[in-house]
Amino acid sequence: MANDKLQIKKLYALSSENRKFSFSLPLKQTIRIGKRDYEVKLKADEKYGTYILWKNRKYPVEVVSSRQNRYEILFNDISYTFTVETPFSLQRMKVLNSKRGKVEKEYIKAPMPGKIIDVLVREGSNVLRGEPVVILEAMKMQNEILSPVNGVIVKVSARANTNVMKDDLLIEIKVG
Amino acid sequence: MKIKRILIANRGEIAVRIMKTARMMNIETVAVKTAVEPNAMYLSSADVIYDNTEDVSEIPVFLDIEKLIAIALKTKANAVHPGYGFLAENAYFAQKCIDNKIIFIGPSPDAIYKMGNKTIARKIALAGGIPMAMGSEGNIANEEEAAIIAEKIGYPVIIKAASGGGGRGMRIVRKSEEMEKMFIIASKEAEKAFNDPSVFVEKYIENPKHIEFQILGDTKGNIIHLGERECSIQRKHQKLLEEAPSSALDEKLREKMGKMAVQIAKAVDYHSAGTVEFLLDSDKNFYFMEMNTRIQVEHPVTEIITGIDLIEQQIRIANDEELKFRQEDIKLKGWAIECRINAEDVQAGFAPDPGKIESLNMPSDPCVRVDTGVQAGSSIVTSYDSMIAKLIVKGKDRKEAIKNCKMALDKVWIKGTKTTLPFFRMLVRHQKFQDGSFTTAFIEKDLEKYYFNSEYEEMLAAWLATKLFVEENLNDDSINIDFKHGKDMSPWLLNKRINQF
Repeated sequence: MANDKLQIKKLYALSSENRKFSFSLPLKQTIRIGKRDYEVKLKADEKYGTYILWKNRKYPVEVVSSRQNRYEILFNDISYTFTVETPFSLQRMKVLNSKRGKVEKEYIKAPMPGKIIDVLVREGSNVLRGEPVVILEAMKMQNEILSPVNGVIVKVSARANTNVMKDDLLIEIKVG
Repeated sequence: MKIKRILIANRGEIAVRIMKTARMMNIETVAVKTAVEPNAMYLSSADVIYDNTEDVSEIPVFLDIEKLIAIALKTKANAVHPGYGFLAENAYFAQKCIDNKIIFIGPSPDAIYKMGNKTIARKIALAGGIPMAMGSEGNIANEEEAAIIAEKIGYPVIIKAASGGGGRGMRIVRKSEEMEKMFIIASKEAEKAFNDPSVFVEKYIENPKHIEFQILGDTKGNIIHLGERECSIQRKHQKLLEEAPSSALDEKLREKMGKMAVQIAKAVDYHSAGTVEFLLDSDKNFYFMEMNTRIQVEHPVTEIITGIDLIEQQIRIANDEELKFRQEDIKLKGWAIECRINAEDVQAGFAPDPGKIESLNMPSDPCVRVDTGVQAGSSIVTSYDSMIAKLIVKGKDRKEAIKNCKMALDKVWIKGTKTTLPFFRMLVRHQKFQDGSFTTAFIEKDLEKYYFNSEYEEMLAAWLATKLFVEENLNDDSINIDFKHGKDMSPWLLNKRINQF
């Protein structure tokens, strides 16, 4: 690794929507917009917590999670997920992506903690995109969880009248 | 004043709000401390705190009629204010208070019952010649009957809970194939939420505006209205932003709708504060929807444009005082907008994001009023709703109110949970919101993106991610601190981390 570090001249932050932001190393405290460089400052104080100062405005920031090269940043109340790649890892990712086929299975997870009120599908049944599969009650509201795809239900993990945590697996669908 | 001490049968911002007015009127208040929120902010505003933390029953104390009556008697409160939600529209609770010689700050049990039962309310409105959407005469027994009525009045129709309100137990049905499923969902939800599975069917008015009139009535038979509020910005029938007055009404329509609202209230001898809700279609036809027999979440916008404290009026009316003003005394002045800042993740379909509020900074400009029940260190718990604060902004007209709102939204800093702030920042910039042409279908139909971010925000976030990566992977002396939502993070460590950058 020690030798690699010296060779890296650029880093790329890839957003979950595949937007690419490139930054030269060593990383500057300025960002160039048009012909001007604007200073970026990461600061913290007791009243506001952590914030970024940019063009005379403070923006609240938090690091929600960081795992390896993946960062979820909460910036001005909006979350962004980036993977930071080196030119080498970016190239490798491109190769891997082109080889990977399309997703075959869809996993429906609980979007929020709550209680399963009803399970509307059975293993083996067909579902259409947009069809409700589970009714989840959370914070006084009943929410229909819709199937994002057309397919066949292969597994039902959700049970009526049980509590679930956020991201608990509810339904597994074979796409197609 | 007969009322000496009020038990607040509620929590959160509305408990704080009621106590504020009570204090101004030199009336004592009792708050109930619960095991779920033993350090809640509303407790610090009360004169007496009843400790109910030993009670670990699954039903919140604010829904336990016997218990609340016992608390009122024990703490020598001679009046009860129910706030909104919980037992605010429970006729049995109101009656129980009266039976125990406790003044219920709200309408009569009879009025609550009649307006609370939507099928009875429909009949009352019909008898009074109030315009209404076509629908079933009474409750319907099953999905077959619902389908027959729907065929008659034409799709789309809406299934509503007879005992419902607040958007629960409601389902829109666009074609006959959906009827069975939707009927079952609506009926189940109604039973769960209101202990009454009965539902009825009504013609669904497409793309209406939600217009509601604030009513005040005393026990001497005087009933007036305080103008309208527009609450068309809603998602799944949950209001997100309200304003007063509405840009859709002119003086003539306001007078006509106001008269109808007063007429409905008169039909049930209404006293206290109440709200008559209408739908207004694109041809300016209006239809009676329901009457809410309580103070509303969005009452502050009416207070701002009328200068009348609605909680004070509720207390005075409960004290048998006569209204001090007549209809002609009510003058609407300026414009007010309320944003409900909830702990919800707008990027994940407004999913609740409960958690601890790490810091809360609200603007203190003269054009801003903040009603809240939380402070830094408070938790948004899953047992209750997800409200953090109501940001209420005024201006001399709608344009100025929107401008002030935009400014105020940028000054709100909340850390610890995700909030609906990015949604409102988008909304105040949206053409359809600015020109007033939005309807209740706005969020569902007119929006491609639920939040606002300025051009460079994502790039700045990318810069920070890259910064962290450089520090963690390319520096050997990096300090690894997990500062997830700022939790467990000492300012000292953070400063050290920041100074490294």
